[in-house]
Formats: sequence, structure tokens, C-alpha cells
Amino acid sequence: MTTSNQIPVAEGLFAETADGPRLLGSKCATCETPYFPKAAICHNPNCSDSKLEDAEFGPNGTLWSYTVQYYPPPPPAKYDEPFEPYALGLIDLPEGLRVLSKVTADDIEAIEVGGNVQLVIEKLHTNADGNEVVTFKFRQS
Amino acid sequence: MRDVAVLGVGMHPWGKFEDKSITDLSREAVEAALRDAGIAWPEIEAVSAASSRFSGGKGWGLNGNDIVEEMGSNGVPVYNLSAGCAAGGNALNIGYTLVASGLYDRVLVFGAEKMPKGMIQTSGVEEETDPEYLRQISVGMPGPAFWGMLCTQRMDEYGTTEEQLARIAVKAHENAVHNENARFRQKFTLEDVLNSKMVSYPLRLYEICPISDGAAAVVLCSAEVARKHTTRPVWLASSTVATYRYDDGIPRGLASVVPKGRTLHSEAKLAVSKAFDDAGVGPKDVSLVELQDNTVYYELAFPEEWGLCEPGEAESLVEKGETTPVGSMPINPSGGFLSFGEATTAMGVFQICELAWQLRGEAGERQVPNAKVGLAQTLGLGGNGTAAILKR
Repeated sequence: MTTSNQIPVAEGLFAETADGPRLLGSKCATCETPYFPKAAICHNPNCSDSKLEDAEFGPNGTLWSYTVQYYPPPPPAKYDEPFEPYALGLIDLPEGLRVLSKVTADDIEAIEVGGNVQLVIEKLHTNADGNEVVTFKFRQS
Repeated sequence: MRDVAVLGVGMHPWGKFEDKSITDLSREAVEAALRDAGIAWPEIEAVSAASSRFSGGKGWGLNGNDIVEEMGSNGVPVYNLSAGCAAGGNALNIGYTLVASGLYDRVLVFGAEKMPKGMIQTSGVEEETDPEYLRQISVGMPGPAFWGMLCTQRMDEYGTTEEQLARIAVKAHENAVHNENARFRQKFTLEDVLNSKMVSYPLRLYEICPISDGAAAVVLCSAEVARKHTTRPVWLASSTVATYRYDDGIPRGLASVVPKGRTLHSEAKLAVSKAFDDAGVGPKDVSLVELQDNTVYYELAFPEEWGLCEPGEAESLVEKGETTPVGSMPINPSGGFLSFGEATTAMGVFQICELAWQLRGEAGERQVPNAKVGLAQTLGLGGNGTAAILKR
């Protein structure tokens, strides 16, 4: 498998950097509120001066909570047939960001609240042209 | 501001009605509410309707206009309110405001739905600039998964057991046995619930609400009008609307901030707190609650967030039967969304019907003894929350 036939599910959400995968967001220089995806202005009602700068988040986080989804999600979410149950979680990052993400593990039934997770970029589904559509996920080690 | 009374309430039963239109459901609920109020359609001075994104309303959520055409177009002003599953509560709030302000004496509030099959799709336009579309294509999160994550966290925090979750569903269906408007009226045993299919861990099929068709309507009026019709009016003591806070720890898109402390469901808490303040009552005064139980989880999380019980106490109250109609903290004596199924925008109006019947002492086998103060609450996509206090 080559990387040439991998397509990100959306542009500008995540990137493979020299230091590994990162989420692409922003941070307000005034109040330090982090945003993912990128925000145009600071949403903190108590912030005196919106000054957003590009910021990268990841790879390490802690699982605040999770679920295992046993039924296929409705459109526009896509998945490969046959449907396999998948885990979703809310991941707390040290920058003060709580991210919604798919969670992967060798055994999704063994995922635990409070566990350490790392950002990965992995296949979401195969599209009609046979290309791999990839998205960000967090892997519990 | 003037006092506002709930003069009449009416409901079309919840279920699946292949042979009826949303207008049929709406008309039957509206006619029932008008009959109950003892007034005729031409006496209604304004209509406040919940907007459906699924059915009727000319594809534009103009469901109030549909019912005016059906009942007789007479130039009456119409307000169509959109707020996801909180739309019924928003419609009630506008109806309340129109009467309390002195602008009108008799206002009709209603909500109705014919829901499409399957899990609800939340995104609209298929463009990556739309945050909800982006969230669904990159992660894929159905409603039950959202509830599942919150419930898993509670289990970790408080040691909530799967059996405690199942008991809430059993209680809901025991209440619904006595409600002729409910869709599912059979009793479920603990084993029935625990053996139902896992949908979004830890939530099973019988622990999340299905979707249904349904309609509900209420007639609000001024105190002066109410006294002409009844010696024992039910009062709409407060009606509030709120949105979530930016420092809430539940991501509404792909991310949120990590909150300081346990700040969750802030839109519901803000709406309920203001409803208490506006009505001049506190959590200890509440005889019964109709809250939005899309899932059993909310019956555990909401009471403590609103001060009805201590944090982590809800589980033991459920086990002791304190949330049944004869307990110390009755929740959803109607049977709730778990037994009715979710006719999304009608739910906020449905709750007012149940509270009115309870406060009048007309709730039959599911009656909360000596009910004096009732609390209603909705929560809708987009961070919309509403609450209302009814009193007699």
C-alpha cells in the first residue's frame, strides 16, 4: 500500500509532520483558549482581545470517556461493509482541549476511561475509486 | 409581566401512523386542547409553533402556518420556532411571553412530528465548511454514541451499574402502562432491558428513546380569561430558554475546552435555574419533573445538576423507588421519551400536557399524590435548553 492513494477525509484537519501526526487548530494568544478545527475568532466571551494563531495539537492525550458503537452511523458518515463496531471517545489534551475522535485499540472492548492515548492517522473507509480515505484517531496502547 | 395560565391541553397519541399526515396529528391535538380549554379556534389570537425539519411546514419548518390553514385562515399571527429537540420548549416560551407581556390573552402553542425511519441525521449542507458535516464525516457520531460517552464517564465517576441503568427503563415503562397516549405500554422486566441489544455502550436498545410520530398542544391565557373558565387554574409560573456556555465540557462540534470542574449540560442547568428563580420556587418545592429522557443517563445526571439531589445520589434514589410517582422525587410519570419515543419538536409541549394533568389530579393510575409544582425541561441540538415551572 502506498501513501499516494490515501486521501484525507477533509483538508486542514490533521497533518503528518516531521514529529508525527498532529491536529491542526488554533489558539488565542490573549486567553490561551485552544480550538479544533481552526477558528476565525476567539469564542471565549470573557476574552478581551481575539488573537488567533495556528496551533498543532497531539499526539498524547488521556481518555475522558468513550463508547462502543454497535450500529452503523447515519449518513453522511461512511464505513466499509461489513460494518464493524467502533469506539468513539472524548480525549483530553494537555493544551486544555477535549477532542471527539474515533478510538482504536487491539481490543476495543478493553478500552478504559483514564487511559493514555496517542494520535494516529488511519483508514476510515475505502471510497468508490478504491482509494483509502483517512482520518484522525486516538489509539489506546 | 402578567400571570399566565395553562387553560387547555391536548395530545395525539405517540406511535407510527402511516395513514395520517402531520397536519392530521396536529389538528387532533389542537382540537383536543381547544375543547379542554373550552374555547373555539377564532378566539385564538396568536400561534406559537415548533418547527419540524422532518415533516410538513412546506419543507421550511412553517408548521404553524400549516395548522392555521387547517383550522381556518383568519390572519392570526404565527411564530415558527426552531431549536432542535428543544423547539417545543421554545414555542412555549414565546407563547408565554406573548401572554405575559399583555400583547395577547389567548395563545395556542403546539408541536408535531412525523419522523423518518432510523437514527437521526444531523447535518444539512454537504460542505466541509459546515462544522456538523465535518464532524459526521471525520468521526461519525450518532446521538446514542453521544449519550453513551457521557454515561460511561458517569459509571467511572460514580460506579453506576448496568442494572441501575436498566431500572430506569423498567420504571419508565411501568408508568407508561397507565398512559393511553404512550407508544409502548407493556411492562419490561430488568432482564428484558438487560437482554436488549447493545446500541452504544453502555446503553442498550430499551435504554434509549426510539423515534415516533406525535403531536401536543396547549392553550395559554391571561389570568382574567382563566378565571372566566375555571376556579382552579394551572399556572405557567415561568418559562425559560438558554444556550450552552463556552466552557461546557461536552464538545458540540469536534472539540471543546476541558472545563474547570464538572460543567456539563450547561444549557439545561441555566434554563432550569432561571425557571426556579422566575417562579420563586426551589428544587425542594418540586412535586414532579418531566425531563428529556432521550436516554436513561439523563435521569441520573440532571437531578443533581439542578439541585434536586446530591451529586452521585441519583442511582440510589432510583434503586429505592424514589423516582416513581409515589416516591420523593418523581421523574417522568408520563413514561417519558423512553415509552413515547421521540417526536422531537413536540416533546416540549407534551411535557406541559402531562404536568397540567398531574397538577389537576387527572393523571389516573400514574398520578403523583398532591402534585403542586411541576418542572419541565428540554435539551436540543445546537446547545438549546428550555425549562418551565407549572403551579396550582
